[in-house]
Amino acid sequence: MQRIKPGRVVLYVVAYATALLWLFPVLWMIVSSFKPYGTPVSILEKVVTGVFTLENYGTIAEKAPIFRWTFNSLFVAVIVTFGTILFTSMAAYAISKLDFKWKKGIFLLITAGMMVPIESIIIPLYQNMADRQLLNTYVGLMCPSLAAPIGVLIMKRFYDSLPKDLFEAAVLDGANAFQRWVHVCLPMSKSSMAAVGIFTFTNSWNNFLWPFLSITSEKMMTLPVGIPQFQGANLSEFTLPMTASVVASVPAILVFLIFQKQIIKGIAMTGIKG
Amino acid sequence: MQMAMGKEKRQRAIKKNLVAWCFLLPFLYFFVNFLLYPILKGIHLSLYDSTLGGSQSFARLSNYIAMFQDKNFWNSMFNTLFFVVISTPTIVLVGFIFAMFINSKLKGTIFIRACLFSPYVLSMSVVTGLWIFIFQPYTGLVTQMTAKLGVGEMYWLNTKWLVWLAILITTVWWTVGFNMVLFLAGLQDIPDEIYEAARIDGANSRQILFRITIPMLKDTITLVILLQTIASFKLFGQTYLMAGGGPGTHTKTIVHYIYETGFTNRKMGYAAALSFAFFVVVFLVTLLQNKLLGSKEE
Repeated sequence: MQRIKPGRVVLYVVAYATALLWLFPVLWMIVSSFKPYGTPVSILEKVVTGVFTLENYGTIAEKAPIFRWTFNSLFVAVIVTFGTILFTSMAAYAISKLDFKWKKGIFLLITAGMMVPIESIIIPLYQNMADRQLLNTYVGLMCPSLAAPIGVLIMKRFYDSLPKDLFEAAVLDGANAFQRWVHVCLPMSKSSMAAVGIFTFTNSWNNFLWPFLSITSEKMMTLPVGIPQFQGANLSEFTLPMTASVVASVPAILVFLIFQKQIIKGIAMTGIKG
Repeated sequence: MQMAMGKEKRQRAIKKNLVAWCFLLPFLYFFVNFLLYPILKGIHLSLYDSTLGGSQSFARLSNYIAMFQDKNFWNSMFNTLFFVVISTPTIVLVGFIFAMFINSKLKGTIFIRACLFSPYVLSMSVVTGLWIFIFQPYTGLVTQMTAKLGVGEMYWLNTKWLVWLAILITTVWWTVGFNMVLFLAGLQDIPDEIYEAARIDGANSRQILFRITIPMLKDTITLVILLQTIASFKLFGQTYLMAGGGPGTHTKTIVHYIYETGFTNRKMGYAAALSFAFFVVVFLVTLLQNKLLGSKEE
């Protein structure tokens, strides 16, 4: 039997206290969203006592096209996620398993592309999109995300680790390059694709800078752009912006709760910062 | 005979190349159009005196010369560097401490980890919105608490140095989970036997921390510091949404200044030059990261 050491008790208290402190703002946001219109949410007694209601969820839907924003965010995130998984997997397969000219150069270029922060190309990107008439469109929202090189690097690293024999056996069975990708690579790389997919989804869902620059029409806004605007217009009505924030967070929180293990493994594996 | 074989070989090589390029093309299409081309276009643009939707004339290096003489540029660079300097050690240290919490095999670790990591999945807009309600004057949560404690009214977001503290707290809360997870992965790679051996040799926990844990985490520490440095350089949303770069221009960062120059003042050429300067700074930091990490791998 181990004795309970005082140091251990202190550790428990500090760790749990910190965890609850960290969770507190999120809980506060969620609970506040169920408080009637006009509740002063900064007075905590009034938040935890009294009436709870769903009326804010109806009100924000009337005041702002919040469901449209949710749809926009979801639509963009889903297409970007599937596009990224497909395209990065294909490109990584070519670089890892096929022979072609300038292979090294292309890979170097993609690696170098990873070092370019989007913040440093917003000006030409904006002009480029304006020339193509892609501002305020879904396509315009999606394209820069589909250019992100990190997925290629993650997938390539995984394909590099697949044993050569697998591919040699497939060649002997008469499988062409496309069949080897579909029947060998794709089934084996499910977890890497999941990691890339989860990241792409949450990054797209939370993406702020590019939608903020490229979207001016209220109908085309995604949640991260719409919410601050809504909050700015309703700064005195605490409960409404809180409710809007909850709506914006639910999908990301759900994805996190469901895929917690994969997300954490994914970060540890790759060190992607959104 | 040999020539025929050579021809066949060449044909097969061409076919091979063709197939590979088919796989590459979809990704490269987006990569070239929406990353590579904008980079080159940005460099090109920075040599012109160009306005948004307006005229363009070749200006050689005058944008860069103007940049070096621009007080606002240096001010925003200073603000950005200031944030890098205060946030990087804080977030790295807190992330390390959190990882130690999780790694000490407490009961309910998964719950603690979920709590500490969860803010990271929230959108920046949600995070800043939430913390505005915590820090805003008169009705903010913390503002009211400090008022009750008798510290007096604190105008967190409108007071010169206090605003940085508010932004630092917000950023730590939001992103520390990411660093925690990186540290955690590093900590879990350290074999238990080493700790046991040290304990048998009579090492106390401080000695274990400084002689074993930290030296063995060297690679992870380097990675976390450099990723965090880059992330801190990109600061924009928190300062823009929470303080509007204010009070005055006290929290205006370089990305904010690029945005303002290009989109509010419509000086695209000059903004492109600022962007390029920003890119060079971040690129040098990244290069340093790869060099340090690469030399460790060998």
